[in-house]
Amino acid sequence: MKSVSAVIPVKNGERYLQELLAALRREGVDEILVIDSGSRDRSLEIARAAGVELLEIEPGEFGHGPTRNLGAERTIGELICFLTQDATPCPGWLDAYREAFALDEHVGAAYGPHLPRADTSPMIARELTEFFAGFEVDRASGNGTAGHLLHIPALQRPGDSTFLSNVNACYARDCWEEIRFRDVDYSEDQAFGSDLLDAGWVKVYHPGAAVLHAHDYGAIEFMRRYFDEYRGLRETTGHVEPFGLLAAARDVRAAVAGDRRWVAEQGLSGLELARVSARATLHHGGRRVFSALGSRAAQIPGPVSSLLSLEGRSGSAIAAPATDSPPQASPLAPPKHLPQLLPHDDYSVVTDVWREGATPLLEPVPGMAERERLRLAMVIPPFARGSGGHNTLFQIFSRLERRGHSCSVWLADYHNQLREVWPAVLRHDINEFFASFQGPVYKGFDQWQGADVVMATGWQTVHAALRLDQCRARAYVVNDHEPEFFATSTERVLAEDTYRHDLHCIAASPWLRDLLIERYGASADAFQLGVEQEIYQPRPVERRTDTVVYYARHSTARRAVPIGLLALTELHRKRPDLRIVLFGSPDIMYAAFPYESMGLLSPTQLSWLYSEATVGLCLSLTNFSLMPKEMLACGLPCVELAGVSAESIFGEDGPLELASLDPRAIADALELLLDDPERWERRSREGIEFVASHTWEHATDEVEAGLRHALREREASLTPSA
Amino acid sequence: MDPTHPATDMSNGSSLTEAQAENERLRARVASLEAELVETQARTDAVVGQWQERAYWLDRWHLDLNALMRRPGASELREVLKALRAVAWRIKRVKRRLMSS
Repeated sequence: MKSVSAVIPVKNGERYLQELLAALRREGVDEILVIDSGSRDRSLEIARAAGVELLEIEPGEFGHGPTRNLGAERTIGELICFLTQDATPCPGWLDAYREAFALDEHVGAAYGPHLPRADTSPMIARELTEFFAGFEVDRASGNGTAGHLLHIPALQRPGDSTFLSNVNACYARDCWEEIRFRDVDYSEDQAFGSDLLDAGWVKVYHPGAAVLHAHDYGAIEFMRRYFDEYRGLRETTGHVEPFGLLAAARDVRAAVAGDRRWVAEQGLSGLELARVSARATLHHGGRRVFSALGSRAAQIPGPVSSLLSLEGRSGSAIAAPATDSPPQASPLAPPKHLPQLLPHDDYSVVTDVWREGATPLLEPVPGMAERERLRLAMVIPPFARGSGGHNTLFQIFSRLERRGHSCSVWLADYHNQLREVWPAVLRHDINEFFASFQGPVYKGFDQWQGADVVMATGWQTVHAALRLDQCRARAYVVNDHEPEFFATSTERVLAEDTYRHDLHCIAASPWLRDLLIERYGASADAFQLGVEQEIYQPRPVERRTDTVVYYARHSTARRAVPIGLLALTELHRKRPDLRIVLFGSPDIMYAAFPYESMGLLSPTQLSWLYSEATVGLCLSLTNFSLMPKEMLACGLPCVELAGVSAESIFGEDGPLELASLDPRAIADALELLLDDPERWERRSREGIEFVASHTWEHATDEVEAGLRHALREREASLTPSA
Repeated sequence: MDPTHPATDMSNGSSLTEAQAENERLRARVASLEAELVETQARTDAVVGQWQERAYWLDRWHLDLNALMRRPGASELREVLKALRAVAWRIKRVKRRLMSS
């Protein structure tokens, strides 16, 4: 059973203190600390007589947040209860809190209702009762009638109410140590409630953890208290209480009617009802005015503000600092104060790597690179249907799995793009979109189990992979030179950074491998993208002699679609009867020539299109696309850009027709294939022959060799050089 | 100790052989443990993978059975459902017996 400490800040609290301390003893609290900040009544005497720990501080040292932090520091209970000096726990209070914390291991705080005392004014009694009943409504199967509430504890998670009240609340010490109360003038509990949910903790409202409590102020005192309360809310949450005469009158009338109804239900009538109505009108009217004034305290002169405040405090924490010069109207609009909105920054893992470096790898074991079966963990970025990079990864990873390696997939999702997609659905989508995968798919790394090789696969996955522990080696399957995907930006900088962390790179072309070695000094191997030969093959359809098919995926900037369209415009000008077919994008392309749009096509549909067309066109400004290989596999000669990556795959005079990045040169290259049957025939034949050896099995061999290379590099670090 | 003394040589040679043998034994043990680890991991992966296959519709509709079972009354409801299922099975059995007789 968890030990419990109770902390009660006190100042002139003699009225209920003895009753409160007796109730705590009755409930079985292990440790009681009273923090007195300058009482001039019998509070100290009562505390001493009760035999509780007593800490005296100067009145000027008191702060709602700091004093409670001090109380938590001075006590040792695993649970810390905070009560105000006028809140008396009801029987069962502590059992209810214990039950609340047993509901979930992530419960950081719990709170209970404030029940009115017998002499509490009807307005406050009704307000308290209805306010706390509101937390139970969701649990009452939609039946919000107070008489039908289930009176069961309610777990509150991010998105639920952030309400928390230190009149009667209990905190897990771990949670308090992580968050602590802010040093604010007021509403430190509300701020804690918000911070707690943002940090991933949950809280519990437990109707059984009740205290008798009421602020039995007079009408004017109530108003001044509301002034303080709303000033505090403005300072902590930025809330500005709206105020309009008509709306206020309407609200006051409704509130008074509610009070009258409630009082009538309690059996009062006649003169008593009239008296309550008058008092309620004053109370609610004063509340509207003083709460509006409180949230605008920064604009109220200090002495006036001091008069309006029950605490006697002038000004506001958000007021501009005083200067010697006469105050001038600031041109700045009041700032909007926002609480912490995220548990952490999207790229916080990058900071972790920069600050603390990569998590050390496990000691290498001699011979580990040659073991038949390896434990492989692939970290992937978020994906969607049609992602070429993910298709490559899963074509290979599914084959590694079939070879007997133990394979798992881990999603690193910086921006929570796939927040709504749960792991089993991710796994299903991988199987539907890319390739058959039997292993587990995890979101995030809470269940991380270690691996022989952890494989980063995109720039967004590298820093996360660097922080994973229990790994023998790290490798980086690089599909493309991703910094080139971005203009000058954070993403570009971070993508470049990924090549500088000594991960062994396995690049998707010799061009890319050489670039990684030369520009970043990385250790790198290469693999050749495979082609699904059973799909991409010449289909039994008559080959046309007038058709150019173009992979016009406009959304992928590195496909240089505007250049391709210019080339086709040029070609159309020379050969108006040419049939032009665009595919790869669901959108209508605004082109200066007539064309047929095929939209997005499945692999099988593509193979039929390639088998019927005369010439293909696909442009790659960075690493080459798989598309030309698939076209070649169907016997379709095609044109690619010269001088980038294609030569490293196909050679300078291989099966591809290469053209410089000039629309006229591209149009000429297309025309050459359209006009020269002998050339067309040679390219087509050579293409089929070339691609025949480019299988996914072969790509898997190369990637597997790269993974073993990463392990061998680790082993080599064991052996001192001769 | 004189390292050139024949007796010392013999002793060194023998302890070297022992050390090598011990090394070999330890390496073999490490290899066997590693193979065991991969096997265990593969089995775990297969089980989690199969469970994810079965949990597709639960995840598709964001149903967390653990959270559901933590709700008050969930265990009791499950017991009631199990009892109802047992009754349904019994009725089926009796019906089948009556039909076959």
